[in-house]
Amino acid sequence: MTEPLLSVRGLSVTFGPRSRRVSAVDGVSFDVAAGETLGLVGESGCGKSTTGRALMRIVEPTAGTVSLEGADLTAASGRALRERRTAMQMIFQDPISSLNPRRRARDIVAEPLDCWKRAAGEERRRIVDGLLAQVGIDPVAYGDRYARQFSGGQCQRISIARALAMRPKLLICDEVVSALDVSVQAQILNLLEDLKAEYGLTLLFIAHDLAVVKNISDRVAVMYLGRLCEIGPADALYDAPAHPYTTFLLGAALEADPEAPRRGEVLEGEPPSPLDPPSGCRFRTRCPYATERCATETPELREVARGHQVACHFPLTITRRGGAPD
Amino acid sequence: MSDETLLRVRGVTTVFDTPQGRLTAVDGVSFDLGAHESLGVVGESGSGKTVLSRTIMGLQPRRGVAVTGSVRLNGTEVVGASEEAKRELWGRQVAMVFQDPMTSLNPVVKVGKQIDEVLRVRLGMDRAAARARAIELLEMVGIPAAATRYGAYPHSLSGGMRQRVVVAIALAGSPQLLLADEPTTGLDVTIQAQILNLLDEVQGRLGMSMILVTHDLGVVATRTSRLVVMYAGRVVETGTTRDVFARHRMPYTRALLESSPKISNPSHTRLAAIPGRPPNLLDLPAGCAFAPRCAYATDRCRSERPVLEPADEPGHLFACFNPLPVAAGGPS
Repeated sequence: MTEPLLSVRGLSVTFGPRSRRVSAVDGVSFDVAAGETLGLVGESGCGKSTTGRALMRIVEPTAGTVSLEGADLTAASGRALRERRTAMQMIFQDPISSLNPRRRARDIVAEPLDCWKRAAGEERRRIVDGLLAQVGIDPVAYGDRYARQFSGGQCQRISIARALAMRPKLLICDEVVSALDVSVQAQILNLLEDLKAEYGLTLLFIAHDLAVVKNISDRVAVMYLGRLCEIGPADALYDAPAHPYTTFLLGAALEADPEAPRRGEVLEGEPPSPLDPPSGCRFRTRCPYATERCATETPELREVARGHQVACHFPLTITRRGGAPD
Repeated sequence: MSDETLLRVRGVTTVFDTPQGRLTAVDGVSFDLGAHESLGVVGESGSGKTVLSRTIMGLQPRRGVAVTGSVRLNGTEVVGASEEAKRELWGRQVAMVFQDPMTSLNPVVKVGKQIDEVLRVRLGMDRAAARARAIELLEMVGIPAAATRYGAYPHSLSGGMRQRVVVAIALAGSPQLLLADEPTTGLDVTIQAQILNLLDEVQGRLGMSMILVTHDLGVVATRTSRLVVMYAGRVVETGTTRDVFARHRMPYTRALLESSPKISNPSHTRLAAIPGRPPNLLDLPAGCAFAPRCAYATDRCRSERPVLEPADEPGHLFACFNPLPVAAGGPS
């Protein structure tokens, strides 16, 4: 990998007072190369959304650094931070509440331009109409409609147009399709793929749906209870997961195919409380392979195959892959 | 499939009176469900799947809704039945598991007491027997330390545990039919797998029939024997789960299947998205409701409504004037 666009090192976020400290994200490190889509997947409470928000400093990281194109965002403040942050934009889960219902589609998309005085008059109108058309909202027919007059899928399209207005390098998508019906979800996923190609965007795609994440990502990172378990190329990671948690997660996923074999065993129990996470490996309390060592020593991410890293003392051997084409 | 019909639904239509006009949420739905059978009802939001399950249960607001047609459960008519008559059915003949376990439990009553209620009111058990049975039920649905959890309030349980309690309440009266409306939506994948396995297991063990209502084709693929696909209040295709997945004839069924990403496909597989969005039920097109989004629609589709017609396989029906050709090996 050449110089990554986004580089995250030892990112930690804790919430609450000392007596009831929740460790939401603990020492997360990863890189995202320019033009790449990294999927961040995990169950509720694993810290995937908090990670996305901490990158934007919507929540303040308690430790670690976030660098975008080599510039440290965690050290910046005030206007410098805001200015640098225009290169990263975020899209959220609920498209309806992401938009002010009493504003027109056109004004919503123009707001970032107005804030930064990037365009006015005819140029502003041309940029906004272009963005709306690009996300599939006809600017002539719908540009002057209010946000409340649009459906969820259309609101998500407008949110995407607004995010693109500043010509960002990095788009952070936090569960952007989980509130949409499957037919509309497919439209938005295809749209993101098209825009990514056209604008040369880099995506951090946060979601809980394993099939959606695989579909859109080049690489996938799996989180459990605030830590990264595994990170690797999407196809390789899904074909041959090396972390026991990833195996269980994939085994529990349901495929829309009656002939699909029921895969794997079902993971028992539920994640422990982040108020009092287990020592060592945080998955060890539910892991069938856990030993004494897992309780005392925190596993670090290490490479098991090219570009495929896993944080486990006893990663599953990559045998199932056999002679399958890579 | 069993020859013994437990539930017989005929021409069920549910119309709501809304300030914007009459809204037909369910339009002429018919199907049969045999004993021990599991049926999946799939559709997107607004397809009428939830209203259908509530109509089968006999759960409607008192005003502003008109139900016509017939729902016979074990020979008893549900449509138009009195509240007293329906109370006789609820719990012992039919029970329901709702989507949100947070709101379907009473937050200020201990979970054990909520199970007790069914046992004492429906089955006339005394306090001690009801308590013992409630603990048994909690154990059956896989709640650890059931005797302790009997005294827990819903807020102290996780989402998955709460849904197990809701299942225990539904099972308390040993119903013959369990209606599960999006029972795992909003739960994490690993918890979803636990709850679906639990429903499978209790259905087999107690010999119940089950209707699984969901938007997620993955949920019904391996857990039901037959499927009903709904669009804009109508059944557009029905058949065995295998036939609907592999030999569907209705373009909407195919669109629904192909628009959802699959784990078995390599990353960046282009999705076959359906243009447009589900129709407004207050302003339905004259012909087939799917016609405005359908690649095969003709003038006839836009003016005339297709009715369900038999396909080659027994029990397989579809409503389409321009059905997809019968696939040789099944479409991908």
